[in-house]
Amino acid sequence: MAYKYIEGITSDVMFEAEGKDLDSMLEQASLALFDVVCQRKKVNPTKKIKIKVEGSDEKDIVYMWLSALLSESDANELFFSKFEVKVNKKGKKFVAKGVAHGEDYSSEKSGTVVKGVTYYNFKVEKTKKGFKCRVVVDI
Amino acid sequence: MQSRGGYLMRDKPSVDVKSKMKAAGTSRQIIPKSIRKGMNVDAVVYGNSKILKQMENDALYQLTNVACLPGIVAPVIAAPDIHWGYGLPMGAVGAFDDKDGVISCGCTGFDINCGIHMIRTNLTRKQVEPKIKQLIDTLFQNIPCGVGAKGKLRLTLDQLDDVLRTGANWAVENGYAVKADVEHMEEEGCMTGADPAKVSDMAKKRALPQLGTLGAGNHFLEVQSVDEIFDAKTAKAFGITKKDQVIIMLHCGSRGFGHQVASDYLRVHEKAAKKYGIELPDPQLVCAPVNSKEGQDYYKAMKCAVNYAFANRTIMTAWIRESFEQVFDKKWKSMEMDTIYDVCHNICKLEEHEVNGKKKKLYVHRKGATRALPAGHPLVPKSYRKVGQPVLIAGSMGTASYVLVGTEKGKESFFSTCHGAGRVMSRHKALKLFRGEQVKADLMKKQNIYVRATHGKVIAEEAPGVYKNVDEVIESVHSAGISKKVARLVPLGVAKG
Repeated sequence: MAYKYIEGITSDVMFEAEGKDLDSMLEQASLALFDVVCQRKKVNPTKKIKIKVEGSDEKDIVYMWLSALLSESDANELFFSKFEVKVNKKGKKFVAKGVAHGEDYSSEKSGTVVKGVTYYNFKVEKTKKGFKCRVVVDI
Repeated sequence: MQSRGGYLMRDKPSVDVKSKMKAAGTSRQIIPKSIRKGMNVDAVVYGNSKILKQMENDALYQLTNVACLPGIVAPVIAAPDIHWGYGLPMGAVGAFDDKDGVISCGCTGFDINCGIHMIRTNLTRKQVEPKIKQLIDTLFQNIPCGVGAKGKLRLTLDQLDDVLRTGANWAVENGYAVKADVEHMEEEGCMTGADPAKVSDMAKKRALPQLGTLGAGNHFLEVQSVDEIFDAKTAKAFGITKKDQVIIMLHCGSRGFGHQVASDYLRVHEKAAKKYGIELPDPQLVCAPVNSKEGQDYYKAMKCAVNYAFANRTIMTAWIRESFEQVFDKKWKSMEMDTIYDVCHNICKLEEHEVNGKKKKLYVHRKGATRALPAGHPLVPKSYRKVGQPVLIAGSMGTASYVLVGTEKGKESFFSTCHGAGRVMSRHKALKLFRGEQVKADLMKKQNIYVRATHGKVIAEEAPGVYKNVDEVIESVHSAGISKKVARLVPLGVAKG
């Protein structure tokens, strides 16, 4: 599995995601996040939102991307279930551009409110296989 | 490893705080500042022996982080319901000097002005119990619940700015509540000085569709009955007059708007901490000097979220009253459905406290903690001033909730006390141990409590077994004297997001 939830946080949720590169790791982290927000596997990817964020380094771009997904989901009243993202380095900045696919909010497919992405135990690291991150989200 | 801000990020606390605490009075322990380099002040932890056994070292260590911040005023406070939280643990208070201190969005947290609104009735358990399923289903129908629920109000941006500036007063002006509701709320339902210009467009976009929605997670609406009255005089002043009287408890906050304000200002305060050379013991405790632009901008934006939450809870009181009218075929006024009080859990406020015998203004951050003012305090509503401020404490969906009252002894904790039972088990573990439908069936079979939720997962995550024993939490603050027991309430029915 490219993402898994980890025991150890009393009130919040911690997960790890990995991928062969930063892009695929971000997609896996996005899936992990929206498995908490909604019943993702039931959500049809019929609507899409374009998202672009900037960050100062690899960690920052992960934080910014996941935070933007939470904001866009809530502001547009959409549950997301599919993600495409590409990270490019422009000068000193990292830029993530992508699309989140999903459908309108409905109580039947809801999960738990995620209030924010936190810096607690937040890690992004290069591995032999590619990239790996650990994220704690505030519930 | 190094975090983004260049601060040392630890997986595990470097000090076993729990073993270094020293008893200092009934249900009261001190974490001396000598146990860790950099602590400016001691921390005080409230809890009896049973509660202390359950406390996480990680959460206690977080108190020592806060004690390292500049301008912190002694002591950092932990209530018995403390558990690990973002930056400042849940169930904690950090007060800062109004000149040399900091304002920290990390200390206030993501769910700004999450709080409790309580409404009394003149109905009895005997009248309500036979109709509890119909009542909870009606409330669930009339109040949008859950992360996927769509709000019934669709505000314009101008209307939203009015809500952010005026809080619960907006609900009164638009016919959702009456003046007496607002008079019985912390801050009278509005923090003055809120500035919508300090709030991002994204925050406003999230705010527009969510006013008048309950949310999900640990937020709920519960119909309860009075199980025991400990202090009849005070209870009577609050409108709680007899055993089996039916009471309504609403627990929710500022929704996605508050989460966005917090997320936005975490970035601002992260940069501010670097700019002003504030050494952070934990990157989650990002902050800005109290009188800096970054500090005051956050304070004005946070007030907007506080006011949004006040309006949110007050609007829902209208739909609670309507639901009772539908089920019991009586007007809400004839059921005497008056607001008892409304308290804030996650908030920063400029308050006056006594420090070393002198009155002093402090920025008091309460996270998962409740203000508890004593009799005679000018900020207690006139109708309660002779007895003190009501303190509303939520249990879990299968255990008791409490009404407490503030005390004069509470000045040692910046007039603060606990806010709930406090979790002891992760959501992940809860989902492994419990099945929502089984928890729901057991609550009905064993305790006659009817639970309605958007889905079983939220019931499993919030099962009574994931929380500390609320009775021990209350015994701790009662025996320590920072607030006193007034009444114990038990759930009849629960609506959850």
